[in-house]
Amino acid sequence: MTPTLTAPSTTATTASASTPPAGKGVSRRTITLILLVAPCLVLVVLINAYPLVVAASQSIHNGTLIVTGDFVGFSNYLDVLTSPRFWTAARFTLIFTIVGVFGSWLTGMGLALLLRTKIPCRGVFKVLLMLPWVVPIVVSSTAWNWLVSTPTSPLPTLTAKLGFGEVHFLANPTLAAITVCVFKVWVSFPFMMLMTSAALAAVDTTVYEAAGIDGASRWQQFVHITLPLISRSTYISWILMTIFCVNDFPTIYLLTAGGPVDATSSLVVLAYRTVFQDQQTGPGVAIAFLMTLVLVIVSTALYRQIRKVDIA
Amino acid sequence: MNKATTRRSFLGLAGAAIAAPALAACNVSGNSGASKAGGGTLKFWDMPWGTPAYNELGKKIITGYTPAEGSAKATYQIIQWNGFYQTFSSAIASKTGPAVSSGAGFQAFQFADQGQIAYADSFIETLKKDGTYDDFLPGVIDTMKTDKGYVAVPWQTDVRPFWYNKALLDQAGAKVPTTWDELLAAGKALKKIGASGFATGSGADNNLGAHTMVAMMINNGGGLFDPDGKPDCVTDANIQAMTFVRELANEGIIDSGAVSYTIDNLDSQWKGRKAGIGIHTPGLAARTGAVGKDLHVMDPLTSPSGTVAGLFFVNNLMMYTNTPSQEASEAFLKYYLSQIHTYWQNPVGVAVPVLKSIASADYYAKDPNQVAIVEKWMPVCKTYAAKKTQSFAALAAVDGGQPLAQFAQAMLQGKTDPKTALTTLQRGLESIVKR
Repeated sequence: MTPTLTAPSTTATTASASTPPAGKGVSRRTITLILLVAPCLVLVVLINAYPLVVAASQSIHNGTLIVTGDFVGFSNYLDVLTSPRFWTAARFTLIFTIVGVFGSWLTGMGLALLLRTKIPCRGVFKVLLMLPWVVPIVVSSTAWNWLVSTPTSPLPTLTAKLGFGEVHFLANPTLAAITVCVFKVWVSFPFMMLMTSAALAAVDTTVYEAAGIDGASRWQQFVHITLPLISRSTYISWILMTIFCVNDFPTIYLLTAGGPVDATSSLVVLAYRTVFQDQQTGPGVAIAFLMTLVLVIVSTALYRQIRKVDIA
Repeated sequence: MNKATTRRSFLGLAGAAIAAPALAACNVSGNSGASKAGGGTLKFWDMPWGTPAYNELGKKIITGYTPAEGSAKATYQIIQWNGFYQTFSSAIASKTGPAVSSGAGFQAFQFADQGQIAYADSFIETLKKDGTYDDFLPGVIDTMKTDKGYVAVPWQTDVRPFWYNKALLDQAGAKVPTTWDELLAAGKALKKIGASGFATGSGADNNLGAHTMVAMMINNGGGLFDPDGKPDCVTDANIQAMTFVRELANEGIIDSGAVSYTIDNLDSQWKGRKAGIGIHTPGLAARTGAVGKDLHVMDPLTSPSGTVAGLFFVNNLMMYTNTPSQEASEAFLKYYLSQIHTYWQNPVGVAVPVLKSIASADYYAKDPNQVAIVEKWMPVCKTYAAKKTQSFAALAAVDGGQPLAQFAQAMLQGKTDPKTALTTLQRGLESIVKR
């Protein structure tokens, strides 16, 4: 980062030396710099700010995707916040995120630690374990649907043969929520495994040797050495996975579309269905904005945690 | 070049780079440069209404269109069902949408409400003059009528008939039902051989469960709306219909997994001989491979109220205000209507025709199931708008929306009291329709 930051300064100084001031207050150099930055600023405004402004406008209007509609103030937000469906979706989003983040982290970390040991065909396992992350979500959700959807699917058949009776993994609201969360963990653990593997590779092994000489057990080494040393990477992966989970649309929608009876409806699914199925653009965008707000707060809190680790 | 010149040149280029796309973006005349005189190209957008061969045939039909001197040539674009509303909306908003398109049952009403549809009144007058109007099956064109005019022209109907698997009914020793009581009896018999007597599904992107609930209400003389088009769900007819559905669920006649079945899951139940009776699309037999030969269309059931009715969606062809010229749109539509018979002549999995000339043709009449749909179901079918006679824009949100999907899922689970479920549905529909 440092060379990139200093280079323009040097160039600008050279340019400044060769050109006289433009006149009152603002030098020609300043104008040049502003004009050089302008294209990027315009692009940023067009790409990021414009859609945000349009969306913000939609959230306070009673329109459609084509027509702006009437100004309704914050009534869309009030409608959303007083809707039981919003809070049902918020609750499931929270559960889905907690299970998604920590379930995939624990699984990923466990496998990353396992892959550091001398097991046969380690390379093959590494590749195979990456498959859930690599395979397109449409393919994996279709495969999971085939596994669990009907009484003749493999898993219900197995549970029936084991004496658990007819189990409806996607038709029972509680089981559907569990199935979706497990699916999310299955899809996400390779990412966590990759992040943890990278962090573990950077840990100096001599620390463990010293701890071993001091009589620290494997568990003590893991809790007091490994976890603190990979904490920065862990917090980053938690932040990323939190964002992935809260914004995760396909994992839920392709498997259950938020059903049965909203049992697996997350905020992003609710926002989508409100805009594109109920065709209520204002309330749908309001949900998305509220969701973004919460995500920003959570991410900021986790970033602060990273800074604490850095300072420590 | 000195430094100042270099800098100026660079800034000039940067300015030009910014200005070019901005100026291009300002050119939102649409129609790919088509002039108002009627030249240029006329965009026709079509969905996958049947097998992949449908769109291949559609492209051939469009390629074969020779416009009059100076009129617009037509281009063909396939729009996938997945996210079709977003595709149309964003294209229409940016003035890059079609001049003519096929569309879902209520799409034309929806875009007409937003001022994007060119009403088809003058076109229908033309059809009356050349006799094509009389070729439409009775009442079909009227489903497109609004207070402001005809929003579109029908081209096929998507009926929701009851189907049954004759081999399974024979195996269960049940007769083909003609009333709800007989449906219950047949369902109980089918359950004994491990088959469902009311096969449906309400999982991801599967509207058949919702369609089935509404079809049962309409069958019993009810519906979602009153004659003025206001939500009117909590009626005696609807409560009776949903009480019957709950009984089917509690008797185990409805597969307890149905609430989560996608359309593929449901089809696999029919293919696997696990579905004995159920409401499905007109193309069910064609979707189920070898089992298809055992599948037959039932006669519409007589409800406890004594009424006989069913649900259908009239799919249509609509013209948009963003067109090279209205004359070009109408000329193209006239040509296209004259060609749609090829979709049934070379079966590509489309639904029920709206033209008598197709419905009575040899190539169509050889399938007794399709004939039964045209002769027995079409005359008694109503749209989602029932009991209102005219359709309206909000029906698009009702059909794909969450309140109805949730209602269907609640009913299929068999745990919710019908009146409570209908009251929740009423509130949900009111929130959608009021907007």
